[in-house]
Amino acid sequence: MSATLSKRKNKLISLSDAVSRYVSDGIQYAPGSGLPVGAESVAFGREIIRQKRKHLHVVANCSSQQLNLLCAAGAVDKAELGFSGLEVYGFANGLRRAVESGKTILEDYSNLSMTLRFLGGALNWPFVPATVNIGSDIQWYQASAPELYPSTTKIPEITDPFSGRRLGALSPLRPDVAAIHVTFADPSGNAVMLGTEWSRFELSRAAKKVILVADHIVSPALARQFPNLIRIPDLVVDAVVYAPFAAWPQSSPGLYDSDETHMKLLNEALKTEAGYLDYKQRFIDPVETPEDLLHLIGEEKIETLTRGPTSFLADPFRKWILSPAAVSEIKGDNHE
Amino acid sequence: MSEYTRQEMMAIATGREIRDGELAIFGVGLSMLAGFFAQAHHAPNIRSLTEGGVYGATPVGGLPWGIECNRISANATSFTGALDALGFLVGSGRCDVGIIGAAQVDKFGNVNTTAIWGDPLSSVAGLPRTRLAGAGGANDIASSCGRVVIMAAHEKKRFVDRVDYISSPGFLDGPGSRRRYGLIGGGPSVIVTTLGILRPNPKTLEFEISAYFAFSSIEEILSSTGWNLQVSPHVHVVPPPSPAELKALRSVDTTGMLQRK
Repeated sequence: MSATLSKRKNKLISLSDAVSRYVSDGIQYAPGSGLPVGAESVAFGREIIRQKRKHLHVVANCSSQQLNLLCAAGAVDKAELGFSGLEVYGFANGLRRAVESGKTILEDYSNLSMTLRFLGGALNWPFVPATVNIGSDIQWYQASAPELYPSTTKIPEITDPFSGRRLGALSPLRPDVAAIHVTFADPSGNAVMLGTEWSRFELSRAAKKVILVADHIVSPALARQFPNLIRIPDLVVDAVVYAPFAAWPQSSPGLYDSDETHMKLLNEALKTEAGYLDYKQRFIDPVETPEDLLHLIGEEKIETLTRGPTSFLADPFRKWILSPAAVSEIKGDNHE
Repeated sequence: MSEYTRQEMMAIATGREIRDGELAIFGVGLSMLAGFFAQAHHAPNIRSLTEGGVYGATPVGGLPWGIECNRISANATSFTGALDALGFLVGSGRCDVGIIGAAQVDKFGNVNTTAIWGDPLSSVAGLPRTRLAGAGGANDIASSCGRVVIMAAHEKKRFVDRVDYISSPGFLDGPGSRRRYGLIGGGPSVIVTTLGILRPNPKTLEFEISAYFAFSSIEEILSSTGWNLQVSPHVHVVPPPSPAELKALRSVDTTGMLQRK
């Protein structure tokens, strides 16, 4: 298998190598999908914390347990988001504390406008005309400069040159790095996402560096069987990380449900600094490898989470999934 | 008459606002239950979507944790994404109706879900006292849908003269405001509360008491509202849930979330 992959086509690297190579202090970082409960590259954020990166500028549709943890760790100076909660799991306590204390500046947009900003970045447009966010405080209140209220620079008013109608101008986003969760990726970076794509399609074209964080590594034959389903193709991908249960405690449709107990335990812990430190010591510090994470979640829990109502969605793809041993062999080739 | 809870009355009153055949977008929690109740009861041909781009699905195994949750992904007929759901179908103006929630709502139906400062924003605003969840897709829905149904718990601190922060636009400053800013949607048509139903006065666009629930009263609504709330000349009691409505609601509220008193 590994013999068939040229070096150029083999982008598999370890999670810790991906963070140390691509994430430096102060970058604009886009966690993908940017979903509070669903497929999100949470494992990547945990590794960022382990490697003590700071002063991140996070751009995403929504907060997630990844952003919740990064904010609790004091690693986020600024976040631009459409949504900052955890849906039915409540408010994101780590993020909330960081915003209320002034540690993190939170610039509000909406879920469509964040997507349009990624689209604008992907197209290399100077701005994106907006018919949403206008007329609301999303347009007028700029968290980074509240004294300018009503702001004329966050979403400046523009005029449609054809109709004369008033619109807003959204600034495009071109994040330095995007760590995008995908269900399946082959070693060169052709990826399949099950469940909503959210804005991962646009983000994968907007970011300057794209790292895929995949629950499973698959044979390149999968892409040839389902080319229509490869919404993120290898030509925009810089690195591929094999990270089983990468979204845990969030869900990955087709593979595992959200871990209700841990979603609540984690968010409860992030209510206080002491709670965060305790969580970090128990659930982040000991996880040096993807295998450690599986051990931490535990066999019994993995069994429960993988028996969910969406597991049939992954069935057509299972025959291409590579075993952990095969994946390490390919990854090993990449270290020469 | 069957027994029902206040939460069930609110969900049913919300569901009655949704008409058969409409393209409709729901959020999570109560709003999703109200929407699926409408589908189960009087609007079987509703075309419903969630902002994640999960189409054709009904929840499985309990109330979904989110718009992307596995419980709403187990029997979908299409997975797309935010640009499609919130852009092509909502931002474009195609969507007939959306249901959104509110932490604060004001007399013009402007909604705050972003943060509480204690006063309406101004140039002196510092850090928020309480950070909330932000606008999510609700700003896009409120800006663009044909009409918007707002659901909110009726308390004086939530029903204010002017919201601290407009996360999702209602009628902004009153007549003409939405057009002036270029918003394409029709704005909020109703606020369904835990006590009754408010609708905008056609001239002033200020919300007024249109109806109250059998367990509530005009007086209770007035004393739970922070602005000088007017009473519609056509004010009436909301018909209580019919047995068929309760049966339909309970068939979608499989975990009995709304049946808890």
